[in-house]
Amino acid sequence: MTASRKSTSGLTRRQALAFGAAALATPFVIRGARAAGDFRILTWEGYAEPEWVKPFEEKHGVKTSVVYAGSVDEMFAKMQGSQGADFDVVAFDTSSFARYIDASLIRPLDLSKVPNAANLLPAFHAVAPLMRGKDQYGVPFAWGSLPLVYDKAAFPTAPDSWSVMWDPANAQKIIALDDANNSIVLAAILLGFKDPFHLTDEQFDKVKEKLIEQKKLLLTYYAGFDDGVAIFAQSGIKAMFSMGEPQVPGLKAKGVDAAFVIPKEGAIGWLDCWTVSAGTKDVDLAHAWVDACLDRKVGAYLSDKKSYGNTTDGDANTRNGFTYADKLVWLQTPENFEKRIAVWNEVKAAP
Amino acid sequence: MNSLPARLAVFALVAAGPLLFVVAPIGSFLVMSFARVEGHQIINDMTLDNYVAFFGNWVYLKTFLLTLWLCAEVTLIGIVLGYPIAWFIWRRRARTRYLLLLLFVLPLFMSYIVKIYTMRSILGLNGFLNQILVGSGILSAPSLVFLYNQGSILITMAVIFLPFVILPIFLSLERIPRNLVQASADLGAGAGTTFRHVVLPLSLPGTIAGGLFAFVLALGDFITPQMVGGPSGFTIGRVIWSQFGLAYNWPFGAAMGAVLFLFALAVIVVAGSIASRQRV
Repeated sequence: MTASRKSTSGLTRRQALAFGAAALATPFVIRGARAAGDFRILTWEGYAEPEWVKPFEEKHGVKTSVVYAGSVDEMFAKMQGSQGADFDVVAFDTSSFARYIDASLIRPLDLSKVPNAANLLPAFHAVAPLMRGKDQYGVPFAWGSLPLVYDKAAFPTAPDSWSVMWDPANAQKIIALDDANNSIVLAAILLGFKDPFHLTDEQFDKVKEKLIEQKKLLLTYYAGFDDGVAIFAQSGIKAMFSMGEPQVPGLKAKGVDAAFVIPKEGAIGWLDCWTVSAGTKDVDLAHAWVDACLDRKVGAYLSDKKSYGNTTDGDANTRNGFTYADKLVWLQTPENFEKRIAVWNEVKAAP
Repeated sequence: MNSLPARLAVFALVAAGPLLFVVAPIGSFLVMSFARVEGHQIINDMTLDNYVAFFGNWVYLKTFLLTLWLCAEVTLIGIVLGYPIAWFIWRRRARTRYLLLLLFVLPLFMSYIVKIYTMRSILGLNGFLNQILVGSGILSAPSLVFLYNQGSILITMAVIFLPFVILPIFLSLERIPRNLVQASADLGAGAGTTFRHVVLPLSLPGTIAGGLFAFVLALGDFITPQMVGGPSGFTIGRVIWSQFGLAYNWPFGAAMGAVLFLFALAVIVVAGSIASRQRV
């Protein structure tokens, strides 16, 4: 320490300048090879953690800049605003893919540049919403479900069917998520419709009827993650259409002996995927990032530390309880969002 | 400083704020309301389709009318609660008066969301109200009837907007010269007569202003009904809200917002003209 300080102070100004210039030049040389420096990531919080960003930066000699989006809309707006030119890679869930592909904001992946794609567990091969013809536009990265959450005090054995959410015996003791698309998809699954994302008018009528029937039994709809937990804990709720598994620990923290179950009819699953922006400045580097995210260690970290299902490390999924990916219906872009919003509003406005 | 360019420069400086932060945003959503969405693009070709769609949709129109009714009820409750409070504060001696006023407007320093949660924890199943009622033996078991229905929307909105009602009523009472009240008493009028013929008419502009605050705030509030209204907490604000996000139908949302805005504006203008006729 003393020696280094001494030598630094011993530098002449000219020497210091020359030394400084050389030190600065080194990263610049590497950066020069990468167009305009930073590797730009647009994603949700938790998907670009130092655990895999740092090794990626070191390996490829780049600096990454991560932008977190607050909502699906914000993410789309950010991409559309620059036609993708502001970002190299993006992560979003399967339900948005059709929208991004239609708007030409993302590009098909060259899987030969993503050797780690071999790590993908069977449930995540050729996921339909990611495909357009023969082209695959994204690789699955993290997932979770919208399960049935229940109070063990009310149900000593786990309810095996969503029908508890339509049982008059549970009137005023159940709550549901206030979300147009998720409510309609779930009702369509329960009604046994083959494709819950492309409904006919007749099917819409049946879905609406089903949801109005449930509305009469609900204590309330809830708006957000914590809101659902708070209402559940404060109002003696028996069961709810949940926004996600992490609501269970939330309820336990409030003293409710809660658990979740994927009923026999199945449940909605969300699946976030990495994809390459149409406006990327470095296609190879973007693929390298996607590849880095499919490292098994990253998958294990997601499940162990972030409580998400992962797509590459089956053991990590098992030890964290994420064993039901095959029972989930991955969200897709529905036939007509406007129509779904209108139907949901009719349910909400029904007396 | 009095030269024309200097005055224009000052005017431009003063006008820039309101233009930038009030006129421009409102103008932009009015423009948006004439656009349409095709694919995932918003195309502005000055269409009236969004307005036609709204007025042709009975579900939305009915929701709008029910929301207006709800807001009228909130206004009425606000005035019925707020006027006696303002009057009571006004009657105190100068020292206690402002302390009391401060106490009643203190909730304004609290986040609006926090207030909704507070109302929930008062009215809920394990709430304060149920605890009192069960503790005092009035109820044998806690009841769900105080929350997640139309009644809880009214109570919550009225409580949240109360300071906005109290303040203008108090200010208009404060402006009544004391000697007018004394003169009325000197001329033999009892307290009741003085109130009816002097205090009430003179405080009417403030009362209208207070009611207007409650009405307009309630009209634009899409969170309270959602959070405390249960299955009946569906208002026009929710319909507008639902057009954003994944629905991505900003033009339709903007059109309904414009209808709401113009309606609120009309109410303000009418109420304002009534109030101005009552000036001393």
